[in-house]
Amino acid sequence: MANPDDTPVEEMMTVKSSRFGEFEVARSTIITLPTGLIGFSQGQQFIMLEHKPPFSWLQSVDNENLAFVVVDGYEFGDQYQVEAPFGDATIDLQEGDEFAILVIVTVRSDPKDTTANLKAPIFVNLKNRKGIQVIFDNPNYSTRFPLWTEEAQAGEETPSGDAPKGEGSE
Amino acid sequence: MLILTRKPGESVYIGDNIKITIVEIKGHQIRVGIDAPREMRIYREEIYNQILEENKQAADSGAASDQGLEGLAAAWSGRKGSGGATSALQGKVKLTSGTGNPEVVIKKKKQ
Repeated sequence: MANPDDTPVEEMMTVKSSRFGEFEVARSTIITLPTGLIGFSQGQQFIMLEHKPPFSWLQSVDNENLAFVVVDGYEFGDQYQVEAPFGDATIDLQEGDEFAILVIVTVRSDPKDTTANLKAPIFVNLKNRKGIQVIFDNPNYSTRFPLWTEEAQAGEETPSGDAPKGEGSE
Repeated sequence: MLILTRKPGESVYIGDNIKITIVEIKGHQIRVGIDAPREMRIYREEIYNQILEENKQAADSGAASDQGLEGLAAAWSGRKGSGGATSALQGKVKLTSGTGNPEVVIKKKKQ
């Protein structure tokens, strides 16, 4: 792989964020959503910032005021099964390619009302860092899956912690 | 809006590779068949609008307090699952705090 260009290994760029201020990131870490998030076709380039794990921020590079809280789809365990958009030309995802699933979180003024949009996650091809939001027309996956569960609260309040991991909690 | 009249079994082409066929008319319901390239995303309008609305609300999460997120993160520890591929996506910047506090950003803008 001869590279005739004398490009530096890490090309840095400045990102402005109304929440996090101004900082530099490697251009190679940018995530592009070629078709934009549904309803937000302008903010197409994002960087992902780890914040309060497991939550991260997708901060728009183009619009300092645009940022989304996201969580890794794998955090929802095996019950969350969504089909990756293999064959999708927008992000050039082929079978066998590695990808990430980002679930968008809506944080409301009362954190207990926070929900995750399981119906429309973002798939990111790790090879080219291109992503696309895909809607799953599946009644099992809500756009407002509550994150703050009774179970989690109980876990906080019960020091004994003898509850198994909340399976069959009905 | 272009309006065409079609009978069941008849089709309409949009461009060269999208074909919409009226499959069946049953009372007030019409079954529509769509042949389109795989990368074309096709959604029922109400679901599309639902996602659009949720995206807009999620964008307003910018008002979320750090404490709120912290509480959520703590509550999350009661859950299963393991973060998978997202660490590979993260930028070189790791934020340790937020809310207009650029000093705590590890890699600050060079002068």
